[in-house]
Amino acid sequence: MNADLEKLQETNKTELERRGSIFNIGAPATEAVTTRDQIAVGFGDGTVRFFQSGSDPKTVKAHKGVVLSMTNYEDHVLTGGDDGRFLKISSDGNIEEIFNFGSKWVDCVASHKDTKVCSSGKTVYIWTKNKDKQQTLEHQSTVAGLAFDNKGKRLAVSRYGGVTVWKLNNNKWTASNYTWKGSHGTVTFSPDTKYIVTAMQENQIHGWRINDKADLAMSGYPSKIKSFTWVGDTPYLVTSGSSDAVCWPFDGKEGPMGRKPIVVANGGKELATFVKALNGEKAVFTGFTDGSVLLAEIDESKKPIMIRSSTGAEVSTIAISSDNSQILIGDMKGSILLSSLWADN
Amino acid sequence: MHEGGFYRTNYKEIDMENTSQVPVTVLTGFLGAGKTTLLNRILTEQHGRKYAVIVNEFGEQGIDNDLVVDADEEVFEMNNGCICCTVRGDLIRILSGLMKRADKLDAIIVETTGLADPAPVAQTFFVDQDVADRTKLDAIVTVADAVHLSSQLVDHHEAEEQIAFADVILLNKVELVEDNDIVKVNDRIRKINPFAKIIKTTRCDAPLDEIVGLNAFSLDRVLDIEPDFLESDHDHEHDDDVTSLSFVSDTPLDMDKFQDWFGNLLRTKGQDILRSKGILNFKGEEERYVFQGVHMLMDASPMGPWPKGKNRSSRVVFIGRDLDNMNLKEGFENCKSA
Repeated sequence: MNADLEKLQETNKTELERRGSIFNIGAPATEAVTTRDQIAVGFGDGTVRFFQSGSDPKTVKAHKGVVLSMTNYEDHVLTGGDDGRFLKISSDGNIEEIFNFGSKWVDCVASHKDTKVCSSGKTVYIWTKNKDKQQTLEHQSTVAGLAFDNKGKRLAVSRYGGVTVWKLNNNKWTASNYTWKGSHGTVTFSPDTKYIVTAMQENQIHGWRINDKADLAMSGYPSKIKSFTWVGDTPYLVTSGSSDAVCWPFDGKEGPMGRKPIVVANGGKELATFVKALNGEKAVFTGFTDGSVLLAEIDESKKPIMIRSSTGAEVSTIAISSDNSQILIGDMKGSILLSSLWADN
Repeated sequence: MHEGGFYRTNYKEIDMENTSQVPVTVLTGFLGAGKTTLLNRILTEQHGRKYAVIVNEFGEQGIDNDLVVDADEEVFEMNNGCICCTVRGDLIRILSGLMKRADKLDAIIVETTGLADPAPVAQTFFVDQDVADRTKLDAIVTVADAVHLSSQLVDHHEAEEQIAFADVILLNKVELVEDNDIVKVNDRIRKINPFAKIIKTTRCDAPLDEIVGLNAFSLDRVLDIEPDFLESDHDHEHDDDVTSLSFVSDTPLDMDKFQDWFGNLLRTKGQDILRSKGILNFKGEEERYVFQGVHMLMDASPMGPWPKGKNRSSRVVFIGRDLDNMNLKEGFENCKSA
């Protein structure tokens, strides 16, 4: 660990920890998403808790076991659980069961405007507002990731052997396959929708340029990549999985092909486990295996700022409120830090 | 852990002191052997422990319990150039989900279908870092039907592999078989796998603590093998029969020589070596080293000091096909320190 970071750690508490609130929930924080004025967090005890500055979180007993997946949906959140339930939850505690898959887990969820999507096993289920019955999309192996493009016209489904990109035309979904050997997990579209990228079971990420299916193999990580986030106008795809936040440039015609990533936010011997963009800035929050979080600009000459000191439990989620005023950090032991990002708040 | 110690390719050192790893028992056996009876016992008996059970959807049971997880057996090839590296993709996903639970599990039991090769399931615990960090393969338990095992061994090579892979074998339904036939089937099992613990049961009525949570693959058993079975058996009928070999040395081994020999052996012959295990006495090392392998992959680590009053002898065992053509004895002898 470099000397600056050690110095920062010696002061025990960071500025954000001093002015923020710490909640010990006692179950791993699995997912966090931002709704209009709150941050919703799913936990390993099946609860979803809605956090807002200045008040205690509101707890909704949602699932029997683990909240496996979560996304925002209008003013609500959609959750999938290991109790087989796909739920729509509001912060006042109202739970609507969209579907019950019984003993099958609901592994992934996604939404776009009034469309609700989840996966259970090899099947993706889609509900749209004007249709009573859900549509289904079948795949050759278990679905491991779901992502809409920004227009909601394409849905990327990651699985063993690659990604199926479904395109919606005249109410019909048609499939296009992007193949690469190995098992693909979380998937994302680049903001300009020119690329799709997956985190693999191996220690690497894989991307495809959508129009010609050109492959981008990004490897060299010492561990699995559990998290990525798009940062800035370039944009950079910032990833966890290394002792730094690894930032791949996706500008120009070729994106990161043949280029080296920028590395920022060095965690010393700790590995990055979660990354989250600071909206509107060329900066990223990086959470590490020891629970610490750094804020760094995508600029190797700038020093990172310590946001949260070590808790001993790996950072599993970070969310920023929709007005960019609050940050929430959660870890695998269920400790939550909610704090204002700016000193004036 | 020793700096630079032991063989470092294709294996990850396991921290046997790390109690936060949840033990996982792999349960194999043919349809009808009694796996469901055992699973029902695990789920319903008042044992005061929390066990999660991962069942296959093609299995025979309709067990309804919060801690039962349905799985498809999805065997995935890794994209790492190792031809042997097939893993259970569904298992990686489910184990990672179970590790997010607020309540801690005492053990996890994974059921596999009768016709499934046990290797991918075992390899998942060697290959996937997240799985290896949070769980450990405790034992492979095979439920065998005392009535039908002999014919299954003739008709299905999967039956032979399930016996070969096992650390514990429940020889079930013994009440339906004459005593001398039990001896015969017992001997047949011993020919394939002399090292597994055989428990004769009626309705899988063995104590659960002899099946689940055995800790470290019951490696100590390697030292307690009945000598009768250590004689290499050369009268098998087919070249692809599964056999076993074991070697003992009272002379301490040279660690570098052993690493070279064993690493190369697994790399080149790993496909035919179903299981390898051993306890090793290295020259200049105070601690015992233990290892266990499945095909080309293995775990190795020091396991504390030698028990007082016990001989510091090294022993390695192999279960596999075509073992006679691997120069195992010569290779092992060459590892003795000068």
